[in-house]
Amino acid sequence: MAQPLVKKDDDRDDEYEYSPFLGIEKGAVLQEARVFNDPQLDPRRCSQVITKLLYLLNQGETFTKIEATEVFFAVTKLFQSKDVGLRRMVYLIIKELSPSADEVIIVTSSLMKDMNSRTDMYRANAIRVLCRITDGTLLTQIERYLKQAIVDKNPVVASAALVSGIHLLQTNPEIVKRWSNEVQEAVQSRAALVQFHALGLLHQIRQNDRLAVSKLVTSLTRGTVRSPLAQCLLIRYTSQVIRESGMNNQTGERPFYDYLEGCLRHKAEMVIFEAARAITELSGVTSRELNPAITVLQLFLSSSKPVLRFAAVRTLNKVAMTHPTAVTNCNIDMESLISDQNRSIATLAITTLLKTGNESSVDRLMKQITNFMSDIADEFKIVVVEAIRSLCLKFPLKYRALMNFLSNILREEGGFDYKKAIVDSIVILIRDIPDAKESGLLHLCEFIEDCEFTYLSTQILHFLGNEGPKTSDPSKYIRYIYNRVILENATVRAAAVSTLAKFGAMVDSLKPRIFILLKRCLFDNDDEVRDRATLYLNTLGGDGSVVETDSEVKEFLFGSFDIPLANMETSLKNYEPSEEPFDIDSVPREVKSLPLAEKKAPGKKPTGLGAPPSAPTSAADAYEKLLLLIPEFASFGKLFKSSAPVELTEAETEYAVNVVKHIFDNYVVFQYNCTNTIPEQLLENVIVVVDASDAEDFSEIASKPLRSLPCDSPGQTFVAFEKPEGVPAVGKFSNVLRFIVKEVEPSTGEAEEDGVEDEYQLEDLEVVAADYMLKVGVSNFKNAWESMGPDCERVDEYGLGPRESLTEAVNAVISLLGMQPCEGTEVVASNSRSHTCLLSGVYIGNVKVLVRLSFGIDGQKEVAMKLAVRSEDESVSDALHEIVASG
Amino acid sequence: MLLAVLVANSEGNILVERFNGVPAEERLHWRSFLVKLGADNLKGVKNEELLVASHKSVYIVYTVLGDVSIFVVGKDEYDELALSEAIFVITSAVKDVCGKVPTERLFLDKYGKICLCLDEIVWKGLLENTDKDRIKRLVRLKPPTEF
Repeated sequence: MAQPLVKKDDDRDDEYEYSPFLGIEKGAVLQEARVFNDPQLDPRRCSQVITKLLYLLNQGETFTKIEATEVFFAVTKLFQSKDVGLRRMVYLIIKELSPSADEVIIVTSSLMKDMNSRTDMYRANAIRVLCRITDGTLLTQIERYLKQAIVDKNPVVASAALVSGIHLLQTNPEIVKRWSNEVQEAVQSRAALVQFHALGLLHQIRQNDRLAVSKLVTSLTRGTVRSPLAQCLLIRYTSQVIRESGMNNQTGERPFYDYLEGCLRHKAEMVIFEAARAITELSGVTSRELNPAITVLQLFLSSSKPVLRFAAVRTLNKVAMTHPTAVTNCNIDMESLISDQNRSIATLAITTLLKTGNESSVDRLMKQITNFMSDIADEFKIVVVEAIRSLCLKFPLKYRALMNFLSNILREEGGFDYKKAIVDSIVILIRDIPDAKESGLLHLCEFIEDCEFTYLSTQILHFLGNEGPKTSDPSKYIRYIYNRVILENATVRAAAVSTLAKFGAMVDSLKPRIFILLKRCLFDNDDEVRDRATLYLNTLGGDGSVVETDSEVKEFLFGSFDIPLANMETSLKNYEPSEEPFDIDSVPREVKSLPLAEKKAPGKKPTGLGAPPSAPTSAADAYEKLLLLIPEFASFGKLFKSSAPVELTEAETEYAVNVVKHIFDNYVVFQYNCTNTIPEQLLENVIVVVDASDAEDFSEIASKPLRSLPCDSPGQTFVAFEKPEGVPAVGKFSNVLRFIVKEVEPSTGEAEEDGVEDEYQLEDLEVVAADYMLKVGVSNFKNAWESMGPDCERVDEYGLGPRESLTEAVNAVISLLGMQPCEGTEVVASNSRSHTCLLSGVYIGNVKVLVRLSFGIDGQKEVAMKLAVRSEDESVSDALHEIVASG
Repeated sequence: MLLAVLVANSEGNILVERFNGVPAEERLHWRSFLVKLGADNLKGVKNEELLVASHKSVYIVYTVLGDVSIFVVGKDEYDELALSEAIFVITSAVKDVCGKVPTERLFLDKYGKICLCLDEIVWKGLLENTDKDRIKRLVRLKPPTEF
């Protein structure tokens, strides 16, 4: 028995030692590549050398320009050989070497010869290589052959041409679009893969033509689709058509739903999933439509294949965000997945359960999660932490259990991102749930006693400085803060000094003791710490007695720093030490590149594991700062609300424009974010001409044109209107983009001197009642409602007419009022005949408003609604009723 | 888009690495991420049993085949199901070329053929051929049988 075993081991050793690429080295392989130049080619040897080159390239090795050129020229010699195997290798290595435009010319004639060869397979491969390496000019020469190839009898040739078309569409769309007749013919092909590739290309060619896509879908859903892959594409296109066409109003049925539902019984799992996903993503999907999809997904939850379990739980997880009740039936299957070997599946199951669970199941779930947390990686833990945060905001009364959970995991081992996610969650809970504040702050204090991350310690100290002084007993935090001064590195010590100063400024009774601590910091061995201590001792006012702190000092300590940091940095770098002190007023306040106007092409940039995104900046703050910098708008007062950007152009047009509506008490400012996507054009004096004849209450008072708009560098132009104070005036505005266009020389990038005036029609824009409402939630609606009292309450009933479902009616009223739904009441349980929805917000003039909506639906789908409004001002309560009555 | 196909040996050394539409500076991240994913999860997994993971909006399906582990990464339309289709084609093509479940040595011996197969299966991030018999003929420049 022993002998064969030993023998086997010997074999393995030999195998291990003798790798065909052992000790492979780039220089040597490049030397070997000289065999390509031999007059008597040895195909076998040449293939081996190409394999070695491929091995190097596949290992991530790169060739210098000269090396690549040399190899490429040598490879072109191999076209002389008639050896089929070698020719196939030559095609591959040319693609891998991706020669530069000036070198391509060497092989084009050989490849064009192959493209017209009688051997089908030469044709197919030559097409693939040519399309990979060619540029636009050559493409027009070979276009004729490509069109023929698309309808070639040989499916490999047709597929090669079609897939080439998909790639070329990105670079030369105008040429590929001319092939649509041939592609249309290929869609009817009997070869499964040809049909799949043709369908993909045809849809891309026609994606902006709704009618054509709709026709394509109509004919194919009735005809035969030969492969599961093509079937999946068709399902995607079908859901696009459904999205764009809406409901059939006469019968109340959704077009193509039957097709999707039929696909749920397809034999390929891929198709079943695609159909189930398409159904769950239908807008305003009813529970009757949703049920069959949920049923098949539920079956897959207990599949033996991890990929299918993952796909099912991932889809259900998404459904749970919008229709938590529809997924509750799957909860038992989902709970068994918590112990799934695959942690991606377990995490998705947990987060789904956190969304679908009700208040009573929170405690049981938390117990299960605690066991689970110890054996998953940080990235999954972060997902769980985020899910727990939203659960806590949904059930604020459960904050104690959830906060305890967060503080427990904060004490355990973990990396920076994980700890940061926990700290961020605790901070958010403290902000949104007043009852959680004191315990949350103490958890954070305990954490910084033993925190290895400087960034988190300073962030917590800063937060503590703002929130700690407002608690019932601020003195208990001082010990934790001063410990930092004793025990930590200089950065944390400096942050702790600032925090101490904030306590001193806000809590007069603590001032004398804070002074003693700050004075001790004067002996610190770090400059910054000493400087800060000196600065604060002086600003807080000398002797440390119990006196009230000046409002100016408070503004200095707590106010926001309104100078862009990049400008500050440049000014400081340019400042030369001299007698004259640095003047902070000399720093320019103009923001050069705005975070809000970032180029928006999220789909194009490949997503990788790159650096984590920078911390989100608050859009509202950034807008306010931006508007303050424009002198014309500086006197408009406090900005009440900025809307989300509204697109005024279709996607992929030459000029992309969206608008943000900024609402002030007396004024409205439209900020038009413009992007020029044409490299050959420079736009100047860009302005939007607004016609406000359908908005009687508004009169235009100022506009700020954009001086220059080069390609792909977004800019803003503004138009301001005056309106009656405090009145929620509404109206419709039509917009035309007007500018001077100058041609740009592509090689130099310089614009011509003379330009031509031109216009571009934009979509209309409306100011609606919801623009005057801020979405501000309350953590405990019942308390807030009762403390508001019935004095300014207004109640009335409304008939909303026939509606597709209760959900649709609830969503319509929420978006009409523009208020924040509270306690998850925006979600309507499936099949329910009545629903209560709680909303909260702040109306223009800073008036808090609470709304209680009670809906009922009858057999004929007639919806009735009772609207109860409570606010601090009865005129506001009336105004809300008016909005609903006129909406 | 099918962002990457990667084949590694049992020690985590890369044998084949093909990226599509992934910036050069991100490739090293991907390589180490995938190798670690394999090291953490592939131990004791049966040949061709598919494992799945997701990172942000990117999906990864991976498996083990003899001495080598195979990873495919995709996003958008190339979700876990499309990727499992792609990896199925890749594993069958590799087995076909090697004649059996490959050892590392066998894989390297057939390296050129395997590269040709991958070239037929994935073309610049799009799935092109899905049938192993057809691929077997295509890499020898033979037309498919149904033609």
